[in-house]
Amino acid sequence: MIELKNVKMSFEDFNALDGVDLTIESGTAFGLLGSNGAGKSTILRLLSGVYKQTEGDVLIDGEPVYDNVSAKQKVFFINDETVQFGSMTLNDMRAYYKGFYPNFSDEIFDKLNGIIKLPEKKRIDKFSKGMKRQAIVITGLASCTDYLLLDEAFDGLDPTMRIIVKRMLVDAMLDRKLTVIISSHNLKEINEVCDTAALLHQGKLLFNRDLDSVKGSIHKIQAAFPEQYTEEDFEPLSVLHFERNQSITYLIIKGDEETIRTELEKKQPKVLDVIPLTLEEIFIYEMEGMGYDCNGID
Amino acid sequence: MYNIDLQSRTPIYEQLYKKIIELILKRELMPGDKLPSVRELAKELGVNPNTVSKAFQLLERDKVIYSLAGRGSFVSNVSPDMVKESDLADFDKAVAEALNAGISRSELKERIDKGVEIQ
Repeated sequence: MIELKNVKMSFEDFNALDGVDLTIESGTAFGLLGSNGAGKSTILRLLSGVYKQTEGDVLIDGEPVYDNVSAKQKVFFINDETVQFGSMTLNDMRAYYKGFYPNFSDEIFDKLNGIIKLPEKKRIDKFSKGMKRQAIVITGLASCTDYLLLDEAFDGLDPTMRIIVKRMLVDAMLDRKLTVIISSHNLKEINEVCDTAALLHQGKLLFNRDLDSVKGSIHKIQAAFPEQYTEEDFEPLSVLHFERNQSITYLIIKGDEETIRTELEKKQPKVLDVIPLTLEEIFIYEMEGMGYDCNGID
Repeated sequence: MYNIDLQSRTPIYEQLYKKIIELILKRELMPGDKLPSVRELAKELGVNPNTVSKAFQLLERDKVIYSLAGRGSFVSNVSPDMVKESDLADFDKAVAEALNAGISRSELKERIDKGVEIQ
């Protein structure tokens, strides 16, 4: 289990994280969403012990991470900066990680490189960008850690590699309860791979939820009522948005479909369409509801 | 056969739940048939295994499937009522569409009577 307790992280006068509380259960695939500069990568760097938090606790299975080898051996961080192995070859890199991660599997490494066939004796700085990414991904999967952190997860991987990685993650999650934490600004990707997601904005956690319960939690309604109602007339329902265009009323209401229908049917609509919002739309409305202006947030 | 829409507004576990029931009602999956494992399905669909497990747990709760330790999940004996219910739901949907398309109630009734006579 991963725990962040009131974590603050400042770089000189910039607060990258401003009091984040977050718990991630083992065996989940967790998505960290947010725009650039929201604090996603900072969280991942704290979890891999690259940074020490300015305030608060960062714990992995109850142990502080920073400067703690036994905690760090449980975590592999896949990011673009990991390729500081300029003059090393793939074989050197493998030996390096094998020396650090006690469960490193040569079998998995060979199996994966058997598929992608990266040259093992060529210097990594001669690799293309995509090849460097592949090298670190297969090394990360072969390190067999309990926690795998993926920064901008699938960026720079071709479709074949994406499928391989996804399948490997399925196996690892089932076989050894791997916890995957993926940062991305791409909701589509998070939606496919993750079961839980948190949204970060300007160093703060806006919300943290089971994705399935998020879907279907807000609905868009188009209805034609026999009377001209105003927003207040829908009182017991939690109306986020109200608009009327001649005889058609457009509403955004928080709640499950059945409750909304039952309530609206009382007003005997001639037409009633209740459509769940997409994940993207939900995130935007939720953020607006919390007083954040979503312009500029992707 | 288990294809689902990853971009849909409906949660993936719910789509999978409905899909398996649909396959059973269409008799593409028969009582006693073995379902793919969580692992196989998660890999095939490219989704999180926890999501597939969730769908299986709900199907088991609703007695649509049962699992045998170490052997996998199997389709239960689906009650005839369930099949009937699903057929009637399809009918209701067709009626609603017809009414929306401007077909009158009497026209629909006539149609049903005709259909029954042919049988």
